[in-house]
Amino acid sequence: MRIQIDGRDVEFEPGETILEVARREGLEIPTLCHDPRLDPAGACRTCLVEVDGWRRMPPSCATKAQDGMVVRTRTERVGRHQRALLALYLADHVQGADACETGAPCELHAMAAKVGAPTDWTPLEPVRVGRDDPNPYIEFRADRCIACARCTRYCAEVEAVTAISLVGRGSKTTIGTVDASSLLDTSCELCGGCIDTCPTGAMTEKRPLLQLAPPERQLEKVRTTCNYCGVGCQLDLNVDPATKKIVKITSPPVGTPPNDGNLCVKGRFAYEFVEHPDRLTTPLVRGEDGALREASWDEALDRAARGLMGVKERYGADALGFVSSSRCTMEENYLVQKLSRAAFGTNNCHQCAAT
Amino acid sequence: MARHPKDRAHILERVQALGGLTPGVAQQVARETGVPEAEVYGAASFFHLLASPDTKVRVCTGLSCQLGGASGVLAAARAAGWPVEEVSCLAACDRPPAVMRERDVFVEVTAEDVARADGWASLTSRAEPSLDWTGAVGPVDADPDTLAMNLLAPPRYDGAALARSLELGAEAIVDRIEASGLQGRGGAGFPAHIKWRGVRQQAETARYVVLNADEGEPGTFKDREVMLRRPDLVVEGLAIAARAVGADDVYLYVRGEFGAPWRALEAAIERLAGPLDGLRFHLHAGHGAYICGEETALLEALEGKRGMPRLKPPFPTEHGLWGAPTLIHNVETIACVPGIVERGGDWFRALGRTEPGSKLYCVSGHVARPGTYELPLGVSLDELVEAAGGYVGTLRAFSPGGASSGFLPASERGTPLDFKHLAKAGSMLGSAGVVVLNDEADLGFAVREQLRFFEVESCGQCAPCRIGTRFLREAVDQYRDQHRDGGKPRLRQVAEAAWEMNEGSICGLGQAAPLPLTTVLDNFPEVFGADPD
Repeated sequence: MRIQIDGRDVEFEPGETILEVARREGLEIPTLCHDPRLDPAGACRTCLVEVDGWRRMPPSCATKAQDGMVVRTRTERVGRHQRALLALYLADHVQGADACETGAPCELHAMAAKVGAPTDWTPLEPVRVGRDDPNPYIEFRADRCIACARCTRYCAEVEAVTAISLVGRGSKTTIGTVDASSLLDTSCELCGGCIDTCPTGAMTEKRPLLQLAPPERQLEKVRTTCNYCGVGCQLDLNVDPATKKIVKITSPPVGTPPNDGNLCVKGRFAYEFVEHPDRLTTPLVRGEDGALREASWDEALDRAARGLMGVKERYGADALGFVSSSRCTMEENYLVQKLSRAAFGTNNCHQCAAT
Repeated sequence: MARHPKDRAHILERVQALGGLTPGVAQQVARETGVPEAEVYGAASFFHLLASPDTKVRVCTGLSCQLGGASGVLAAARAAGWPVEEVSCLAACDRPPAVMRERDVFVEVTAEDVARADGWASLTSRAEPSLDWTGAVGPVDADPDTLAMNLLAPPRYDGAALARSLELGAEAIVDRIEASGLQGRGGAGFPAHIKWRGVRQQAETARYVVLNADEGEPGTFKDREVMLRRPDLVVEGLAIAARAVGADDVYLYVRGEFGAPWRALEAAIERLAGPLDGLRFHLHAGHGAYICGEETALLEALEGKRGMPRLKPPFPTEHGLWGAPTLIHNVETIACVPGIVERGGDWFRALGRTEPGSKLYCVSGHVARPGTYELPLGVSLDELVEAAGGYVGTLRAFSPGGASSGFLPASERGTPLDFKHLAKAGSMLGSAGVVVLNDEADLGFAVREQLRFFEVESCGQCAPCRIGTRFLREAVDQYRDQHRDGGKPRLRQVAEAAWEMNEGSICGLGQAAPLPLTTVLDNFPEVFGADPD
């Protein structure tokens, strides 16, 4: 089965949308409400394309490719539509990229520049109302919201939590919770996936805002593996280049294994231990006087090995037991059982996630 | 999780029964139904009769009610300290101004009525104290054989048309619908038989028939009159449709402001119980949202969701209520069915002049006898207004099909009021809610009010409509307030925004919403100066 996109003959699999086929071919179609993890909504209207024989321009994200279809994404009509649509979005938004992008980035400004949208349309009176929410992590800024419903759909379709919903109607449509309550009083698990999927920074991390940290686009991203559990989620530490401190954690792009852009509350928000004064950064051993003192790794490991071997010699290997943590990776767990069985000779080994 | 999608269908009526969206109500309904509380809250917050439970009195600020003195009533109610709000059209444009007290609609309400009332709870209309009021219908001297519905005739409960349809069989019924040339009377004018055949040819055997009685287009009140005067035609028409497409369940979505029409339908279903044997009729109330007159938004609301139109295709004939093939029709379309079955498609077709059938025209504004008039499809404005007792003052402009049709100049007074000719004139027949403005009317104000209507009633799902309706209304407000902010670019912005709303919106609301402004810019350049920048 084949379709033609901008003059190119392309094969497709049944069920693929025009957008999926186009992106696979490297053709760029702008989107705002699209997230491959979600069912298409066709609501933001940025991805409209022309299809020969169709009177109206369909949303490419929600329209399945059909054999013989002729699609045009670069016509005068599509271009005019994109420019006027983005001009409307900008008129209903915080004016100017710098004023807007104080937290998570906003795709509108760059997209408007790319399609050549006018940026001088008369700004509208702000009408959307946010809500005070004492939760420590997630800030919703209604003046940046484009009501694309990615956050609410993500919450329902990916997390199956449904803590938030589109609320109100018309120009006042916004994102809300039941009775405008705090996320803490809802089914919200504070995974922050709403922040990750939000295309305009309306959903953003609260702590960096309170700390007046630089906006996300000025931060350096350092890819690492989450150490809270063994899944191995990839995450990006966002580091302030001036202070070299972590400002926040974001998830890598959708499609990155194993977590596909998803994180949990611990992976996304529980990073303050990194800089915490109580955190141990060198091994400690107990001296003759019974007090802990700093030691080298070699010294500490020797001490631990001596102690364990001492127990084995006095009481036998089965007097020992080894329990590893769910925070360990699979490889680390493997090594712990190797240590238990091969080095000390006992099968008393366990992992805290095993039941 | 909800146990079955159908459990969810009742969440909105549960919220209503609990007094609207006060704190704790969404959580209670969530506990009862298993629907997540945020979804209950989000759905209920969409409907203004549920979202603002503290508002007890609502004054219609549709254009005809504005012409009839709504602003004075609103001011009096505000001065009295009542919990009052403006509301979009209450479908009583023929008897303005209309005021809703909780869910009861009173007509021809005056500021004196407000002053006389002992608090909002005792508001009534001195001119029309009854809640079972009807409007004027006509023409009174018409030959009944030329009328497909005949609102002046008494209802019939013999089930004769339904019996005839059972003799004919499903295929012959649809043939008659096709021969009649019946076009959907809700606004789009889509050939009815294509929908009927569309549902019939689906493999899925669970099918539904849905009645769209969410009449709310400003200037339109014909469906109200049909349900009040000839509910027999509606119920029998639905039964015929259900038999023809193989449905056992019929859903009637009646706007929440239609207490009397609801009661009339209920009574008609009761009286026709014998002939309806085996069919299940389900009445569902709307809760205040014009957009639910859009058929897929209506289906969403029936399913207990926010009334946001679906992407089409797929169309309801294939993927409708709960995903099943669904035949959905406007009240007037359905009311034409019994006559077509009994007297034949050719008879119906011949009733029209330029297009098939007789048509209910609503006329309000500056005419002597506002009301609902059944005339051959394709009469001119002059003929319609003659039936309504003539113009009041000198005709300046008219809106042929509700707010969505914009404003045409007096020079179009001879144009046939049908789907084809009005489309050619840059307007539309729509629901045939004709509003007449004389030369004393403030056309700029009229434009502003129509734009505000769309802004308030936009569902908010897609940006061209959600932002565009507000963009146009603010541009007009700025012009009228003389806070003009620059020259030509503003005109370009308005024209571009209007173009984009038409091209980019998901449904007909956003696509048509710029028409009040663009048609006035085209037809009445003097209203916004030579250059409405």
